[in-house]
Amino acid sequence: MIKVSNLSFSYSPAGPSVLSDINLEFDRRTTAIIGQNGAGKSTFVKLLKGLLKTDQGEIFIGDYEVKMKTAAELARQIGLVFQNPDDQIFKRTVLDEAMFGLLNIKIGKSTAERLAVEALEMVGLEDKLAVNPHDLSLSEKKLLCIASVMAMDTDIVIFDEPTIGQDHAGMEIIRRIIQELKKKNKLVMTIIHDMDFVAENFDRTIVFNNGKVLLDGETREVFSQKEVLMEANVEPPGVTQLAERVGLKNTILTVEEFVQECGK
Amino acid sequence: MKKIVVDGLKYKYPLSEALALQDISFEIEEGEFIGIIGKNSVGKSTLCQALVGLVPHFYKGAYGGKVLVDGLEVRNHSIADISRKVGMVFQNPFTQVTGSKMTVYEEIAFGLENSGLPREEMRQRIDEVLRLMRIEHVKDHSPFDLSGGQMQRMAIASIMAMKPDILVLDEPTSQLDPAGSEEVFQAIQDFSQQGITVIMAEHKMEKIAQYCNRVLLLHEGRLVDFDTAEKIFSREDLKDYGVTAPVYTRVCRALGVKKQGCDGYPVTLEDAELALRRSFA
Amino acid sequence: MHNIDPISKLYYILFAIIIPIILPSFIVSVICVALSVLLLLAAKVIRKTLPVYSFVFLVLITVIVIQGLFRPGNETILFHLGPFAMHKEGLLFALTIVLRVTNIVSAFMLLVLTTKPSDLVESLVRRGMSPRIGYVIVSVFQIIPEMMSTMSTIMDAQRSRGMETEGKLLVRMKAFIPLLAPVVLGSLINTKERAMALEVRGFNSRNPKTYLNEEKTYSYSKWIQVAMLLVTIFAVAWRVFL
Repeated sequence: MIKVSNLSFSYSPAGPSVLSDINLEFDRRTTAIIGQNGAGKSTFVKLLKGLLKTDQGEIFIGDYEVKMKTAAELARQIGLVFQNPDDQIFKRTVLDEAMFGLLNIKIGKSTAERLAVEALEMVGLEDKLAVNPHDLSLSEKKLLCIASVMAMDTDIVIFDEPTIGQDHAGMEIIRRIIQELKKKNKLVMTIIHDMDFVAENFDRTIVFNNGKVLLDGETREVFSQKEVLMEANVEPPGVTQLAERVGLKNTILTVEEFVQECGK
Repeated sequence: MKKIVVDGLKYKYPLSEALALQDISFEIEEGEFIGIIGKNSVGKSTLCQALVGLVPHFYKGAYGGKVLVDGLEVRNHSIADISRKVGMVFQNPFTQVTGSKMTVYEEIAFGLENSGLPREEMRQRIDEVLRLMRIEHVKDHSPFDLSGGQMQRMAIASIMAMKPDILVLDEPTSQLDPAGSEEVFQAIQDFSQQGITVIMAEHKMEKIAQYCNRVLLLHEGRLVDFDTAEKIFSREDLKDYGVTAPVYTRVCRALGVKKQGCDGYPVTLEDAELALRRSFA
Repeated sequence: MHNIDPISKLYYILFAIIIPIILPSFIVSVICVALSVLLLLAAKVIRKTLPVYSFVFLVLITVIVIQGLFRPGNETILFHLGPFAMHKEGLLFALTIVLRVTNIVSAFMLLVLTTKPSDLVESLVRRGMSPRIGYVIVSVFQIIPEMMSTMSTIMDAQRSRGMETEGKLLVRMKAFIPLLAPVVLGSLINTKERAMALEVRGFNSRNPKTYLNEEKTYSYSKWIQVAMLLVTIFAVAWRVFL
């Protein structure tokens, strides 16, 4: 779906390179992008989304080269949910906020309303259509932002730190949304620091370090390489560490797997 | 010695119908490290702010009951007076930067200038907290040029330079990456080991379990339980309060492996390893 | 120049404004402007003044043209601009305005370009200005860049949802509205949080404040201030007696 070749980027011509020589292909597996702050994760996502323009190398989404389109034109193919909901929300009601993107891409008003309501149902905000978004709690605001991107029904949905500031209930909703999107055969990609969440929810994991791809593969395979992860200052999930310490042979990603493995 | 006594605390924000805190009572001993947990908007931040006097002095609103910090009744003293006994660190590292100082060194001095400390002592204290927080190498940088982790450590340094006996932290690492949060937790632990009383609201249960002596569970503005991490995280009804136990506890519970010499399940990686090894053997 | 105390520079602004008022002759105004420019040169900041001067002159040129053409009392024609006549009286009047403005702008730039805002405010607070007002002034300088970066994040968030921000002026103007609410609201939230963070660092303490940095003693301050005062008195005397 996405093909990235020989991608390099720096914010100023003379400045240090933020990304260097990235080659990646994305299919429909749910993909987590991890690594320390400053490793280049956000820059990479902004390039995919056309918010920044590539200096070197190419990014193709389907048959289109990203560079040739404006971010607004790309909005039909690729959705991005920002980390801080307050950076996005500006309409007076929840419904208007969810419809904003649809109206931008010239969807008719009645269709837009239907799609927006469907998306809001998915995140459980359907009974708050007329509420002012600023009266929502932080996690509800985040869900509204997710809904307003999902309503646009893009083939690719990218999340930036969806779990920050979420409590248990919020995490469960986000987990469910990712599963739903996967069922609909979308490519879900997320920048994330919460390794337990990665282990439980993502098929593929890519580790960025100093502007380069350090590891890329099935999540289980990535988390089995403890030493390489250390280089990027990433710790494997807690349950994986515990399994390793008590001498379980396989790399364990969830509590259920742990229990099963012990039952053998 | 009782460092903090909260007795029948009730509080309602102005313009709000519901009580944010309802009849909360507890006591904290000197040198304890206390974690406050619960789902979002159940009053964790409000409780933290009640310990430094932002509730009620900053917000006003309806207030009942008593909060004593180090013998000082919060309600009857100004925030500036209380700030000498209790320091507070907030979630967002950016909004804690005063924005009026050019260097990290001067930034840390801000609170000391306000409390009227002599210059010599100011310098001594600043040098000390810079060293403790391991940010000496950036002391001449602009406060806004730091990484998130460094910025949050600067915020803690700025508070600790004021030499409070009690440090209150409201989700101090929620906006940091794992390496940045680790730096901050280490720094807090250092202070705790020096005998500072620490109270921290936090969502990362593994961290709470690792560092706290006791854990205070809040729900809908009420105190549900206040006990050791093992007791709290072993509660059957934890889910009802929107809290997930540390992953180590969940594994051990599923396998029915309890911590040795105690009725609860292990809550840390080390304890879980120990308990599991014993049960496998 | 960087080592002269901010207060003397403040006096200098006052001085540069008052003298041409007391002695409203061209020569005096020219001398004042020349003095400021010389000082700016000595301080090696003249390069930074160029954008400001260019902007000011752009405005002033329109003043010259309008006054030259239309000032009531215009009699003597100097030359023609196409079908329009430029008059001596209007141009002379415009020249006074140009000198006044240049004079004030130069004096201000001398202060702004050679002083850290925090130093200036600290000097004023030491002399009794409210620390709250001082704080507001200094923090604005630092918080504006922070707001600019939030602004670009917000812009990205709206572009991601298909809002066109590139292209015609109208498109750009329309794109601006969705930015305002989040920026304003965001800064309100930040202001509340920052206010709390300041409170717990004793911002409203009643104790007398102390300062980390020693007050710099500026050896020439007294002399500079006395000299300016003498010149002013002299100017008044000149005006009254001659």
